[in-house]
Parts: sequence; C-alpha cells; structure tokens
Amino acid sequence: MHPLFRKSLIGILAGATASLALAPALGRPLLSVVWGIAVGGIYSASLRPTPRAYVDYLLTGAALGIPLWGLISVIAVPLLSGQMPEWSAEQMRSHFPALVAWVLYGAVLGLITQGLTDIAERVLGPEIANISPAPREKKQIVILGGGFAGMRTAECLEKQLQRDPAVSIALVSETNALLFTPMLAEVAGGSLEPSHISTPLRSSLHRTEFIRGRVGAIDLEARRVILDTDHPPGESSSRREIPYDQLVLAVGSVSNYLGMANIEKLAFNFKSLLDAIRIRNHVIEMFERADREPEFIRAQTLLTFVIAGGGFAGVELAGALNDFAHGILADYPNLRREDLSVVLVHAGGRILPELSESLARYAQGRMEARGVTFRLNTRLTDVNPGVVSVSNGEIRAQTLVWTAGTGPNPLLKSLPVEKDKRGALVVGNTLELRGCPGVWALGDCAALTDASSGKPCPPTAQFAVREAEVLAKNICAELRGGSKESFHFDSLGALCVVGHQSACAELAIPFVRNKSVRFSGLFAWLLWRGIYLSKLPGLERKIRVLIDWTIELFFPRDIVQTIDLQ
Amino acid sequence: MFSVSGVATQRDDRGRSFHWVDSLWGLAVGGAGGALGSALLATSPARGMMLGSLFGLAFGLLFAYRATSSGAGLIWGLGAAFLLWLVLPVGILPLLAGSGGTMAKLADARDQFPELVAYLIFLGMPVGVTLGFRGSLRRKREMPPFLWWRAIIVGGFAGVLGGMIFGRWSSAGDFFPLIAGLGEFHSRMATVGLQFGVATIIGSSFGLLFQRDVRGYGSSMGWGLGFGIFWWFLGPLTLFPLIARTPLDWSADHGGELFGSLVGHILYGLILGIAYAAIDRSWVKLFIESDPLNREPEGPGLLVLHSLGWGALGGLAGGLVSSPVMIATGVLPKIAGLDTPLSIFRALLLHLLVSALIGMTFGVLFRRESSSIGLGVMWGWLFGVIWWYLGPMTFLPLLLTGEIDWRASTASALLPSLMAHLIYGATTALVFLLLERRYTQELLLNPRTAASELRRVRPVGTPAPALWFFALGMGVLLPILLG
Ligand SMILES: Cc1cc2nc3c(=O)[nH]c(=O)nc-3n(C[C@H](O)[C@H](O)[C@H](O)COP(=O)(O)OP(=O)(O)OC[C@H]3O[C@@H](n4cnc5c(N)ncnc54)[C@H](O)[C@@H]3O)c2cc1C
Repeated sequence: MHPLFRKSLIGILAGATASLALAPALGRPLLSVVWGIAVGGIYSASLRPTPRAYVDYLLTGAALGIPLWGLISVIAVPLLSGQMPEWSAEQMRSHFPALVAWVLYGAVLGLITQGLTDIAERVLGPEIANISPAPREKKQIVILGGGFAGMRTAECLEKQLQRDPAVSIALVSETNALLFTPMLAEVAGGSLEPSHISTPLRSSLHRTEFIRGRVGAIDLEARRVILDTDHPPGESSSRREIPYDQLVLAVGSVSNYLGMANIEKLAFNFKSLLDAIRIRNHVIEMFERADREPEFIRAQTLLTFVIAGGGFAGVELAGALNDFAHGILADYPNLRREDLSVVLVHAGGRILPELSESLARYAQGRMEARGVTFRLNTRLTDVNPGVVSVSNGEIRAQTLVWTAGTGPNPLLKSLPVEKDKRGALVVGNTLELRGCPGVWALGDCAALTDASSGKPCPPTAQFAVREAEVLAKNICAELRGGSKESFHFDSLGALCVVGHQSACAELAIPFVRNKSVRFSGLFAWLLWRGIYLSKLPGLERKIRVLIDWTIELFFPRDIVQTIDLQ
Repeated sequence: MFSVSGVATQRDDRGRSFHWVDSLWGLAVGGAGGALGSALLATSPARGMMLGSLFGLAFGLLFAYRATSSGAGLIWGLGAAFLLWLVLPVGILPLLAGSGGTMAKLADARDQFPELVAYLIFLGMPVGVTLGFRGSLRRKREMPPFLWWRAIIVGGFAGVLGGMIFGRWSSAGDFFPLIAGLGEFHSRMATVGLQFGVATIIGSSFGLLFQRDVRGYGSSMGWGLGFGIFWWFLGPLTLFPLIARTPLDWSADHGGELFGSLVGHILYGLILGIAYAAIDRSWVKLFIESDPLNREPEGPGLLVLHSLGWGALGGLAGGLVSSPVMIATGVLPKIAGLDTPLSIFRALLLHLLVSALIGMTFGVLFRRESSSIGLGVMWGWLFGVIWWYLGPMTFLPLLLTGEIDWRASTASALLPSLMAHLIYGATTALVFLLLERRYTQELLLNPRTAASELRRVRPVGTPAPALWFFALGMGVLLPILLG
C-alpha cells in the first residue's frame, strides 16, 4: 500500500471517530463527521509516524485543535453557509464551546491515529521509506583534474543537475585542493601561508565524488579511466578503473624545458604549492649559507636569484622574491644589500607581452627601482651548480626558477586525438573533442578558438572558469537532449603585481569592444587585491588571507624554514 | 533536527518497573497537591486529593517516560493539567450535567478559572517536576551531560539581559509586570531591584529546567513563552499574594485585571528564550561545536542565508493568505490610518513587506527545528501567536501612539486579528518547510551530508507537543477567557 494512502486512510478513520467530540458543539452531526474526516486525513498524511508516541500525539492533536477552531468554526463554517464571519470578540466568544470541542477532537484524533498507525505497522509491516528508489542505470560524468577548469565544471554540473539522482559526478585529481595560482607568488614571497590559497576539493564540492589519484591512462574505446596504483612498485595491487559516460579533461599543462635536461634537473618549477614552498625555503637556506660564507664572491652567488620568463608568473615571482629577500635581510647583519640580486631573464624585447607596451615599461621601471635586474632578449642555454648560462654570457647564481614555457600534460601524449603544435587537445566550439563524442576538454590542456572572434583562447584561469560554465551546460544538453552552446568570452583584462603595493592593470571597458583602460600604482594594486580576494573560493580562506595581509602590514616576513631541502 | 518523531519514544527495557514507582510517586505528589489546592479553593479536600492522585497516577503511567528532565516534566505536567481542565470541568462534566447537550459556555468556563490555576500550580507543576527529576536521574547516562553552572550562568545572564531590556521599557511606563501582585513599594529603587531579582530568578530557573531541551532559537523562544505564561500563574496569581499576605484571588476577574502582567510575562519569556538561546548557542559554538569531533560538513553562514530567503518567501505567502482576514478584521485599515482604497493598497504593500521581514525571522529562528511538515506547522501556529502578542498587542500601538496598552479589553478587541496571525504563522511555516525540505533532499545527495546524518545522534526528544498545547492554548484561550 502506498504510504500516503495508508496514512490518509488511518487519518480518515481516526477523524471519523474523533468527530464524536465535535458533534455537541458544532450542532450538525453530519457536518462534524465531514470536517472530522477531512482534518483527520490531512493531519495523518502530514506527519511522520513514530511508534508508540501516544502522549506526543495526544497533545499535538490537542494543540492543533486550537487553530482548527479558529479556521473552521470561526471562519469556514459561516463562510460555507453563505454568511460573512463576524469579526468581533463577542462573536468569537460565542464559539467558545466549539473551542473545547476542537481541542477534545484533536486529542482523540492524535491518540487514535497513533494507535491505528501502530496496529497497521504490526499487521501490514513497516511503512516503506518514502525515498524514490535509485534509478538502476546512472550516467557517470568523470572530470579529470581539480584545477580551475575541473573544479568549476563540477560546481556548475552540481548546480544544474541538483535534483537529478540519475547522474553521478566524479572528479579525479592528483592534488586534493584547488590551487589559487594568482596568489602563488605571495606564498613564495612569504606573505601568505601556503594552505590559505588552496581550497580543499572535498569540502567545496557537494554531491561530486572526489577521488584522489593520478590518472595513468585513458581508454577511449572502452570508455574508462585507469588510475595509477598508490602502492609501491613490486607490491601487487589491482589498478582502479573508472567507467564514464561523459569525460571531461581538465588536467592543465606542465612546464616545458625545451629539451634542456640540466634545467629540468636543477631549476625550480613554479606551478604547484610545493614549488612555492620549496622556493621560499630555498631562499632562506641561501641566506643562512651566505651568512656564514667568508668568501665574498660565493656569498654573492648564493644571494643571486634568477627567474626565467617574463610573463605574468615570472614577473610576479620576481617582484615577490625581491621584496622577500630585501625584507629578511635585516635578520642577517653579515649580509649587505649590494650582494643581493634578483635577475629576470626574458627572451623577448619586453616583459609582460600580455600587456600593452607602456604598462610593461612602467612595470619594468618600477621593479628596477626596487632592485630587480632585467636581462631582456636573452635566452637561457644551460645551468650548472653555481652558474646559469645565458645566450650572452653567464650569471653566477645558485638559484634558478623556470617559468618560461609550458607543454602538454604527459597523460595526453598517448591519446589518439587531434592536438595543436603545443600538444593541447583541439576541441570544437562546444568544447567537445573532435571525433570523440562524450569527451570534452578545457582549460590549459585544450586548444580552443573563440566562437565569435575566431581567436585562440589564452591558457588563463579567467578563461578556464568561463569554459567550464559553457561545458557544464553542454554536458547537460547532451544528457537531456538540447542544443549546445558555443564558447565565446571577451577577456576582462589583466592585472599584475610588480612589487610592494604597486601593480599594473589593463582592463576592458564594458560593452566597448577592443578598448581598454590602463593604469598602475597603488590603486591598481588595491584593485588586484580586491578582485582576487573576491575570486578566492571560500569565505574561510578569504578571511585567512585577509588576516595574513593585515599581519604583513605590521610584522616582518617569517624566516622559519618549514621543509628540509638537504 | 528534533521533533516528536525524532524523539523516538524509546521506552527503555527497564521501563516497566520504573513506571510503577513513578506512578506511586505521581499518586503521592498529586494527592498532596490536590489536597492543598482544594484547601486553597475551599472545596472538598477529599475530592481534591482523589482527583490529584488519579492525575498523578495517570501521569506516572502515561507521561513519565517522556519526562526526561525536570523542565520536560514541568512542560508535560502543565500540558496534561491544562488538558485535564479542558476535558473535565469545561468539557465533559457540563456535557454530562446536561447543560443543553453542549460543552461549557464561556461564562461557565470563567467560573472554572480558579480550577485551572489550581490544576496547573498544584497538579501539573509538582507532579511533572518530581517525575521529570526522577527521569533525569534514571536517564543520566543516555542524556547529554547536564552542567549546573552552565545552566545557572547562562540562564541568569539571559535573565538579567532580558530584565534590562524589559526593565528599561517597563519602568519608563512605571509598569512592573513581573512583580504585579506583590503590592506597592515605597521606593522606586526597591521596585526596580525586585523586578530585576524576579527576572534573574526566572532566567536561572529557565536555564536549570530547559538546558537540555533548548536547541534552536525558535524552540527556545517557544519555551520562553510557555515558561513566561507559567510564571504568571505561579508568581502574580499565586506566590506573590502569599508573600504579600493578601488573600489569594484566582477568579477570572482578577486574572483579567492582571492581564497586562500576563502580556509582560509573555514578552519577557520571549526575550529570555531568545537571549538564552543566543548565549547558549554561542557557548555551544565556542566550546562544543568547535570540537573537531562535532564538526558539520556544511560551512557556517550558508544555512542562515538560505533560511533568510526561504523565510522571506514563506512570510510573503503568509502575508498574502492572511491579508483577506487582516482587511476584514480592520487591522490593515488601522495601519493605513484612512479608509480610502489607495491607502488600503499601501497598507497591503506594507503588510506584505512586514510579513516578509517577519518571515525571515521565522527562517532564522526555526530552521532545522522540525522533521516533518505537520510538526513544523505546529511551530508556525505558535509563531503566529507570538507575533500577535508582539505585533498588534505591543509594537503596533507603540509605533502608532507611542504607548502600549496591555489591558484585557484591548486584547479582546484584537481577538479577530489573532486568527489572521495564526493563518500567517502556519502558512509561513508551511512554505518555509517545503523549501527547506527540498534543499535537504538535495543535500542528501551529497555523500558527506548523508554520512553526517547517519552519524548524528538523535537526542531523546523534547516535550515540544506539550509546549505547543500549553503555549498555543493559553495564548489563545486567556485573551478569550479574561477579556
Ligand atoms: C604562478 C601562476 C600565476 C597565475 N596567475 C594567473 C592569473 O593571475 N590570472 C589567470 O587568469 N591565470 C593565471 N594563471 C594561469 C592559471 O593558473 C591557469 O590557466 C589555470 O590554472 C588553468 O586551469 P586548469 O584547470 O586548466 O589547469 P590546472 O589549474 O593546472 O589544473 C590541473 C589539475 O589537473 C590535475 N592533474 C594533472 N595531471 C593529472 C593526472 N594525470 N591525474 C590526475 N590529476 C591530474 C592537477 O593535479 C590539477 O589539479 C597563473 C598560473 C601560474 C602558474
């Protein structure tokens, strides 16, 4: 028997019996029974039964009698008999006997309903839980990568598939947190605590199953993803395979060292949280070593930090490291400011090719004034311990950070699909892989052109999240049968921090195509902080970062080494 | 999330034997209470004792297993005693006495008012508190630990806070509702001090009695309301005359004279309930929920925001549904001041706006209070009554005329709008709960929430049904009876 039907039937029976209490006050027995049955049915249907809760329902029913008196005896009965209720205290008082009757009715209704429910449970068995049975065939959406692209895709899918239990979503990622890369330079520079700029994927996602693991291979034929085993080599274990109906590739990119093995071995990468932590600890290590270094030249080598790449990441890192290094100098009285240098090596004629020339010039001027050295039109050729070789000479340095090139994620290399010259997956306007229905790619690992302008979309977080929104809609359209959307987005502009409390900005003017405003300085820096703080996912992280920034205003940067680099 | 159904009326295995002991206790305390009450009422002590013993016995048999603390016992006791009054002297006895084949008319019920006071103070309270206390000893291990000092500190603090808010206001009008019945004092200092003292006593006894039952703001407000009404019966109607050595007067007429004090107690109870919940919730937040063992998967703030939105929608719906009654009863024209159609329209808009705002308070106060729609609507009715006392009885006249008028005759004139408030409360709760339920079902698709729901230890239930009956019943009945 359907639970609602069973409950209503019980209520009707109980209501009919309890209506005996109504008859003396309402006058007309038939009317009392009709009201009694109607109220009983609704009452019982709206409650979740609890075994043997007699006194609870006795008093709940009695309490219910009071408003019922008002609704039925004072308002409904006169209305139904074609009169307007008289809204006076006197008239209400004249209904007083009915109030008592309704309370008694309610109490009896509560008791009998409970009794009948208990009997029904014993005779007919427990009520079947009112949970719709899980659909047997679930569609599985698997997202690979927990960066901006993957995380945002999962969020949008959750929102759009809110109440659809027939679809399950899984996100596989090597890291269990989303790294907010725009603030990574501040971690390397010691302004922010590392974990404050990463948001745990488990707690940010709601109905998405999160699987931490490294994807080793993708079998497009069999439609499944194969995870690398966590066990040490030699130990036998079965590899986990995840079947999919829809696959989203958002695995990002990796650094590309242009075939220079030494650089790959000796340079610091600047992509992950661990990279940033390593860089910060390494800088402190260099200061500690330089402090006890009697030889002046070697101390200078230790205190020279070379950054390869003049894009956003390189410039922001150079600015942050320069501030950090100068800031901690006060703790090392044996070292002199002149021994310290931060060098940015860039192959192009100007830094920040993403911004206009005037802003790039401002950034460079500002950073030079703060002590950063620029080697433009210079290519890195090799690196050996203590020496960084460049196309026009050598730099004596113990530290090299590589931000100069990115390449495809190795996972994609083996996929038999179309790629561009960077190695990124070529996708159509709807973000679906050509010739691979149900497989989608976005973010840094995808080569996509804007549907309206026809220009290639840059590999930035700004684009990745917009792509994710369109992709989620398109997957829903695919599952539910609807038309898919083509991707189009006009960049909002760019912001770059160049050093202490100064930044440069180039922002698109809303509704005016190809026009932007440029400005720099403190205001741009405040805007940078405001915008990125608002973009940082999670209120708690925002508060933590805000506290870090406030502390930084009053206290010097920390020089505690947190990892052992030996 | 608690409710009658969350409550699980698990009778423990040892239950049966205890019921007999409980019933004996009930018998003894009820008998004594009945004798004392009838002595004060100057009726036959033997009859009083017998009725009291029967009440105690029945309470011990039926209700005692639900009286898990003194506070729970008190509320169950008051509910049971109130029901007894409605069933016996007002309901069945007149019917049997053949008074025209109907239940008591209002005038007869007014005559029975002294009985109501006696039932509550000499049967419901002593039997409920005694058996509740026994229950708390028996269930010591199953229940969350009871912290005396927390109850007294939090309750006392809430009492003082409530007393301060309330005191400033009532002393401005030279009206001290909490000590009505104690007689006149020479110095104003003594009056204010005493009012404060009583407020503090009510506050800390509230903490002692209800520490375990107070979960959310809404239910705490309900508890405060019930406790406030109870104190009116206990203090101004019973204890204070005894202390002041003036003759006890439990007549409906005297009750009518003290009606202002009743409204005062209700308002004070509401403030106390909210203040207690706020302090207690902060306590729980700082010292209990901050414990990683008790962490919830959902971040803070999110639910509050949702609740505000759903509450506003619910309130809007409640405002719409109740507006015909509001117009018919003349409340809206009163707000508008003039009876022109345009101003009615403006008043209607204002009414909807205020309804939405009040709905938001429902959302914040009553979120996660009920596990089923039916039980949630019960809180809604109570919310409606609360707002009748707060709105047309208190704030509206304060806004319109700058004075409050808590006389029984005023309440009587406002009775029709009580209907509108009941409808408003129930509709708001219904819509709110439907929206909340939809969201909860979505949440349960989240494996983390589902896992935490499974882990959640449901506390043995609160006496919410008794509270609904007592507070809703008194809130509606007293203005009818005493007006
Ligand atoms: C220092 C720095 C600063 C930046 N600043 C800005 C900025 O200010 N504004 C801006 O718009 N953009 C900025 N970017 C660029 C931006 O970070 C990227 O465009 C963006 O992160 C791309 O998102 P994605 O999801 O495609 O890839 P990613 O963010 O790189 O995420 C890839 C995810 O895939 C996972 N993954 C990779 N391989 C596997 C595997 N085999 N198995 C399982 N999981 C795997 C990774 O763990 C990671 O979670 C910056 C980048 C850097 C490095």
